[in-house]
Amino acid sequence: MASPTKGNTTNSSATPGASSKNYTHNQNTGDDGLIVVQLSMTNNRNFTGATYGGQAMTQLYQINRGGLGQKMAFYYLENPPTGSNTLTLSFSASVWNGVSVHIRSFTDSGGIGASNRTGGQSSPHSGDITVEEDSLIMITSCCVNVILTQQIPTGTNRTFTTHNVNRQVATGAISANGGHSAGTINVRATSASGNLTLDRTEIKGLGSSVDTTGGDFFAIM
Amino acid sequence: MITIISKIELEGTDNLKYTDVGYTEDVSIINQINESYDSTLGKFIGENRTKLTLGEVSISEFFATTEYVNEAATQTDSIDGLSLIEITNINQL
Repeated sequence: MASPTKGNTTNSSATPGASSKNYTHNQNTGDDGLIVVQLSMTNNRNFTGATYGGQAMTQLYQINRGGLGQKMAFYYLENPPTGSNTLTLSFSASVWNGVSVHIRSFTDSGGIGASNRTGGQSSPHSGDITVEEDSLIMITSCCVNVILTQQIPTGTNRTFTTHNVNRQVATGAISANGGHSAGTINVRATSASGNLTLDRTEIKGLGSSVDTTGGDFFAIM
Repeated sequence: MITIISKIELEGTDNLKYTDVGYTEDVSIINQINESYDSTLGKFIGENRTKLTLGEVSISEFFATTEYVNEAATQTDSIDGLSLIEITNINQL
């Protein structure tokens, strides 16, 4: 098994002022590529699609966080075109608030795994996600007030980007390079005050090419 | 982290058009660009957000007196393959 290799990131909080917005992002070269995008914006509009290099991305989720007035979404594309390409987001109508966008590339990835999401809860907001061996976890939160930490696992602060759209958004937090052991991992987000959300997504590594669960085993001496 | 500088213009009658025009890693240039944005287009959008959303105000009102505005709101690890110049002085914009 091997953890996914982290690649380039792109972050933006610009106001589209139109029903679509383009972002240029450089997908790393390598096998088993994956590109993901974490999104948050005001909930008076919907995300209606995403493409990268002209290829349609898959929507993992889109959630209305009514209490926080936010719409949060996650799109991904396996084996995307490499190099600099345009990621285009489409909206149900023109968006006049900032949109929090975090794009991240991977190589050596087995794709998207588990995804658990919980709405606004008081700080600290903790939640579980059950992952396979060597997987990485990405998390994101939104809150009315300042978001202080993104912990993967709980107790280990990870760096993240803060976007001040019409809410505070923490985006881009991801596990350390080595990934996690298979099992249930507890993660946590904290804020200065007020309720905050906690969405977590598994980025899978590559499965072992050798079946070690049974049968014969040969050691090379 | 590299910050991409975008030029924002009016497209049609009611939309914004973004064009990436350069990049910088100079925080003072980033701050100058975004302070200018905040006091011009950002201020107009902030004051008219609801009406813009409802279509009761057009962004063309802002661009009646302003040709374009710059913003530095995108950060990236890589600009390989992009034909962007490094902005070392705000007067280059």
